[in-house]
Amino acid sequence: MEIPYTATVRPDTGVTNQKLGLWLFLASEVMLFGSLFSAYALLRSGALSWPDQSSIVNVRLASINTVVLITSSVVILRAAASMRAGSVAAFRKLMLTAALLGSVFLAIKSIEYRGELVEGLRPSTSNFLGLYFVMTFLHALHVGGGVLVALFLCGPGVAMARTNPPRFTGRVEAAALYWNFIDIIWILMFVVLYLL
Amino acid sequence: MARLARNALLGKYVFSLDHKIIGLQYALTSLFFLLIGLMLAGLFRWQLAYPGQPVPLVGAWFGDANAPGGVMLPEFYNQLVAMHGTIMVFLAVVPLSVGAFGNYLIPLQIGAPDMAFPRLNMASYWTYLAAGLTMLASFFVPHGAPNSGWTSYPPLADFATMGQTMWLVGMLLLIVSALFGSVNTITTIVQLRAPGLTWFRLPFFIWAQLVTAFLLLLAFPPLQGAAILQLADRVLGTSFFLPSGLFVSGVPVQRAGGGNPLLWQHLFWFLAHPEVYVLILPAMGIVSEIIANNTRKPLWGYRVMVYAVIFLGFMSFIVWAHHMFLTGMGTVISAFFQTTTMIISVPSVIVLTALLLSLYGGSIRFNTPMLFALAFLPMFGIGGLSGLPLGLASSDIPLHDTLYVVGHFHYVVAPGTIFALFAGIYYWYPKITGRMMNETLGWIHFIGSFICMQGVFFPMLILGLGGVNRRLYDGGMQYAHAQPLHGLQVGMSYAAWALALVQLPFIWNVFASVKLGRVADANPWQATTLEWTAAPTPPMAHGNFETLPSVYRPAYEYSVPGAVDDYLPQNRAGA
Repeated sequence: MEIPYTATVRPDTGVTNQKLGLWLFLASEVMLFGSLFSAYALLRSGALSWPDQSSIVNVRLASINTVVLITSSVVILRAAASMRAGSVAAFRKLMLTAALLGSVFLAIKSIEYRGELVEGLRPSTSNFLGLYFVMTFLHALHVGGGVLVALFLCGPGVAMARTNPPRFTGRVEAAALYWNFIDIIWILMFVVLYLL
Repeated sequence: MARLARNALLGKYVFSLDHKIIGLQYALTSLFFLLIGLMLAGLFRWQLAYPGQPVPLVGAWFGDANAPGGVMLPEFYNQLVAMHGTIMVFLAVVPLSVGAFGNYLIPLQIGAPDMAFPRLNMASYWTYLAAGLTMLASFFVPHGAPNSGWTSYPPLADFATMGQTMWLVGMLLLIVSALFGSVNTITTIVQLRAPGLTWFRLPFFIWAQLVTAFLLLLAFPPLQGAAILQLADRVLGTSFFLPSGLFVSGVPVQRAGGGNPLLWQHLFWFLAHPEVYVLILPAMGIVSEIIANNTRKPLWGYRVMVYAVIFLGFMSFIVWAHHMFLTGMGTVISAFFQTTTMIISVPSVIVLTALLLSLYGGSIRFNTPMLFALAFLPMFGIGGLSGLPLGLASSDIPLHDTLYVVGHFHYVVAPGTIFALFAGIYYWYPKITGRMMNETLGWIHFIGSFICMQGVFFPMLILGLGGVNRRLYDGGMQYAHAQPLHGLQVGMSYAAWALALVQLPFIWNVFASVKLGRVADANPWQATTLEWTAAPTPPMAHGNFETLPSVYRPAYEYSVPGAVDDYLPQNRAGA
């Protein structure tokens, strides 16, 4: 027996299963990143001295990365819109672009990490650098997961666009929602870890 | 994985996507962990009763590194205590009440063909199993299992042996599993309710599971964050939890410093206090189902109970620091948390009172599930009331870290939650296997467990009031004030070993009744909720019902005046 409301909206709740599931997942993610941001607040407010963050980390590369990630968010929303409009070819191109932009973000991030490691900066150097490495690496893992999902959706996963278009559209929208969430987390990290 | 799923046996019983099989996988695995946790307790109870004497029978198994000549070393004792707590809370009771009962019953009780995300469901079980095996494997790494207690407080946990790293990895896996499970549970309850099953027609068990799932979803991630930070402290050499100028065993620590050990406590208890309600809410749900059924009455104050658990869920996020009154966080903050703690006791009392009043005027059937459900009420009552002095900052000061605390939370979880889980197993067994469990063995199991539980846990309250601290390797023999009370430690140990023995009839009953039990029909308890309208044993594949049921009435229509039977199933149309 099929599970109801995988593709159609349940009338009295107004959502599909996947959309509700994704929102719940994001709520959990808010708590995960929230705990790390609170750890940052507690450690920084209790510290005797705190380094000048922007003189340690590479603000220039991170600014470029912020632009890359915001662009990718726009692109993935365009991808979801073209899937809703039923244009699979345009969707695939846009989704692939989003995945590429995500990979560019990760590449720039690794250049950044390399620069810090070459200078002898380690997570153990100070609590700021520890939090910087742990938080941005956890975020990078999330971007990596998003890239894999995007590649799946424009690669092997696209078969469902023909067999079950409404369900596939739901998947694409879920991926776009997740991507935008990860983008917002990055903007928060950019402000807190680079600029403040 | 798809190819494996097509392979008949593997697909049906191992890599199953069906919620009932996954529920049973959860049940058997978590019962196994429950047994392990009990055996660990049986072991360290020897040390508490007879400190310094070789452990009889099995003492030689642990090797010279842990127990030279069979005499337990302090490090080994710490491993046993830490793993007893970790296993009981995270790998036994929560997976049994949420993973097993939730998975098996939620789709059946709401008239759904399966959980909303079957693949996620399977992933949740396998991640849980990986977490459990990682924890168990830690006994076999150099220097053995984690020995920092189930709370893993830094700074010591930062420098503990390798087992602690395994603990952190196990926790990370377990939290991922809980995330999968809770997303699935909430989505299923919100989206897959049968037509007509409105929110206030849901069985109370479903409400309890829904609130529990929200707690797991939102409270577990901060511990995940904390575990990542502690892992970084241990592996990458960061100092998130290490203050400057720290000495360990007289040696200055060579780290950057500037961290804060209290950060861990805040993040840990932000999970672990909601976790207490994760332990108790499904138990309340199970007990409510059984009490309504065996009193043949609707639950007294069903709506109030629902509002109470929702309120309790919200409040449980703002009480965590009552575990930290002695950390010097200041009287203003202590006053805040002691106030919220007193407030959160109100909804628990409401639920308990409603269940007690449900008994009034009922013609009670005393079968095994009902015995355990009835015993839950006073046991949870003792557990809850003994917690009040701990929630008040001033009386917590002398009681803090004594055996009184241990007695308090064991009363909540052991004769409380675990009794409710036993009740649930006896109650839903005929639905799962099509046969009844043996009543005589059930009575032996109940009476034996009830007496032994009091024997183990009540003396803890006395010892604690006598000032005996918890986690003492020798049971307190070094302290003059503990020596006159030591006889209690011996008695408690015998009660614990007897408790292990009276589980034997239960274990036999669970396995043997599959073949020997009396054959049950589809609704042996004459219950109203939807799971009993499914086939006697629902087929082990997607599709619990031949046609999805519709619901026409509230969950507990027992003894309705003018009705022919004394119960009206939820899917029966008409007046």
